Amino acid sequence: MKKSKKNMLSLIIIGACIFVVFIFPLYWMLVTALKTQLEIFQIPTPLWPRDLTFEAFEKQLSQSSDTLQGFKNSIIIAVGATVISTVLSIPASYGLARFNFKGRKLIILLFLITQMLPSTLVLTALYVMFAKVKLLNNYWAPILADATLGIPFSVIILRTYFISIPKELDEAAKIDGCGHIKAFIKIMLPIAKPGIVVAAVFSFVYAWGDLIYGITFMTNPTMRPITSSIYNYVQQYQTLWNSTMAFGIIAISPVVLIFIFMQKYIVSGLTNGAVKA
Amino acid sequence: MKKTGHKLSAANLGLLFSLPALIYMMIFIGYPMIQNLILSLKNVDVYTFARPENQAFVGIDNYIALFSNANSVLPKAIINTVIFTVASIFFQFIIGFGLALLFNNKFPGCSFFRGVTMISWLLPVTVAGLLFKFMFQLNGGIINQFLTSLHILEEPIEWLLEGRTAMVAIVVANIWIGIPFNMMLILTGLTTISPEIYESAGLDGANKLQTLFMITIPMIKPAIMSVLTLGFVYTFKVFDLVWVMTKGGPVNATELVSTYAYRLSFEEFKFSEGAAAANVLFLILLVVGIFYIKTIDDNEVM
Repeated sequence: MKKSKKNMLSLIIIGACIFVVFIFPLYWMLVTALKTQLEIFQIPTPLWPRDLTFEAFEKQLSQSSDTLQGFKNSIIIAVGATVISTVLSIPASYGLARFNFKGRKLIILLFLITQMLPSTLVLTALYVMFAKVKLLNNYWAPILADATLGIPFSVIILRTYFISIPKELDEAAKIDGCGHIKAFIKIMLPIAKPGIVVAAVFSFVYAWGDLIYGITFMTNPTMRPITSSIYNYVQQYQTLWNSTMAFGIIAISPVVLIFIFMQKYIVSGLTNGAVKA
Repeated sequence: MKKTGHKLSAANLGLLFSLPALIYMMIFIGYPMIQNLILSLKNVDVYTFARPENQAFVGIDNYIALFSNANSVLPKAIINTVIFTVASIFFQFIIGFGLALLFNNKFPGCSFFRGVTMISWLLPVTVAGLLFKFMFQLNGGIINQFLTSLHILEEPIEWLLEGRTAMVAIVVANIWIGIPFNMMLILTGLTTISPEIYESAGLDGANKLQTLFMITIPMIKPAIMSVLTLGFVYTFKVFDLVWVMTKGGPVNATELVSTYAYRLSFEEFKFSEGAAAANVLFLILLVVGIFYIKTIDDNEVM
C-alpha cells in the first residue's frame, strides 16, 4: 500500500491536534502553577503566564509545607507495597505458568477477580483489623493494603511472561543438575527481568495513586501520603489554585518520570495485563 | 506432600510457588470480604461500634433498608453509577477506537503522539480530579472561558454546583482518564490483523466504512469485548475521581455506589449499612466480571 504525501500530512495534523487537546489539561496545570492568583482570576485568564512566578513552587517546597512530607510518605508506602507485591508475585506467576496442578485454574480466576474488587469492599474490615494490631497511622497499614492492588495485576502479566519463555530453558537447567528452585533463580529470573520491571512499575503506580486507603488509615497529617495531603490541602485552601497545581505537579512527578523512562514497558504491561490475562 | 527438596512432585511445587501470594491475598482481601459480609448482616453503627455486647445479627435488614428506606440514596446511587459508567464508556470507546485506527497508521511522530496520550491514564486520579475541578470552576475556570468565547455558553456556569452539569463534568474528566486504556487495547487488537486481509478487501472494491464494519470490527471482537467489560468494571467502581471533584454532591446528584458506601461507613459511621452497600457494588461487578472471564476463557490461554 502506498500512501500519498498529502495523506501523510493530514495524519500528522490530526495527530498533532489530538495531542494538543489531550495534553492541554497538563499544560494548564503547569501554567496555573506558574501564574499569580491575580492572573488566574483575571477575565479572560491569559493562556500563558504573563507574570511568570515560581512563588507557588517555592511555597510548596518550603520546610513548613506538607508537600515534601507527603512526598516522603508516599515514597515509603509505594516502595514498600511494590517490594511486597513483586516478591510475592514472581514465584506465584512462575508456579501458575510452569506447573499443571489441581486448582491452578481456580487460583488464576481468584487473582482475576480480585483485580476487579472495589476498595470499599474490604476497607472497613481492614480498618478494624489494622486498628486491632495498632497499625493505623503507621506506614504498614497502607503498604499492606496497597500491595493487594499490585499483586493480581503482577501475577497475571508475569504469568504470560513466563509462558512466553521457552520451556527448553528449564529443561536445560535441570540437565545441568539444577533443581527446580535453583533453575528458577538462576535461569528464569534474569530472563524475566523486563516482565518484572513492568510488574514493579505498575505496582508502584497503583500504590502511588491510592487515595482511599490513605485517607482512611492515615489520619495524622504528618503520616499522610501525598494524594491524601493534596486532597486535604484543597479542602483547606479552596481557591489557591496556583499552589494546588504546584502541589499537583510535585505529586505527579515520579509517575511522569517513570512514564518518560519506561514508556515501552508500560505499554506492553497495559496490553498484556488486560487482554491476555 | 513429600518433603525431600527437589523430589517434590511438580504439582505440589507449583502450588508451593503460588502459596505466599495466595495466603497474602486471603489475609488482606479474602478475610476482610468475609468480615464485610458478616458486618453487613449486623447492626453496627456509631452507637454499637465500641460495644460488641449490643451488636446483633439483623439478617438482611440493612439491604432491605438500603433499597426501601425513603432516605436511602442507594437506588439513586445505582442509577447515577449506571449513567456515569455508560456515558464514560460510550465516549471513551468511540474516541479510543478512533485514535487506535489513527495510530495504526505509521506516520512521523506517530509513536510520540501515541505515547503522550497514555499519560492521563497513569496520573494519580486524585490529581487529575483536582485539575478538572479547577478547569470547571466558575471563577478562573478555563472551560467556561472557552465555551463563552465560542458562544456555546451565554455566560459562565457553576458546573459543579448544579446536578446535571456536575455529572457532565465528572464524566468528561473520566473520559480523559480512560481513553488511553481503550486506545491501547484496541490498538493491540488491530495489530493482529494482517495487511493482506485489507488488501484483498480493497481489491474486492470495499470502501473504508465497509472494511471497518465487515472486517476490522469482527476481527478484533475479543479485544472489543475485553475493553467494554473491563472498562465497565473499572468505571463502575470509580471512587477517588468523584470524591475529589464533587464528593457525591450537589445533593447526591453525583453520588455513586462506591462513594455512598464510603460515606455511610466513614462519614455517617453506619458501618453495617456501608458494608451492605459495598456488597451490592461487589455483586454487580462480580456478574460483569464473570461475563468477562467467560469471554477471555473462550479464546485465550486459560
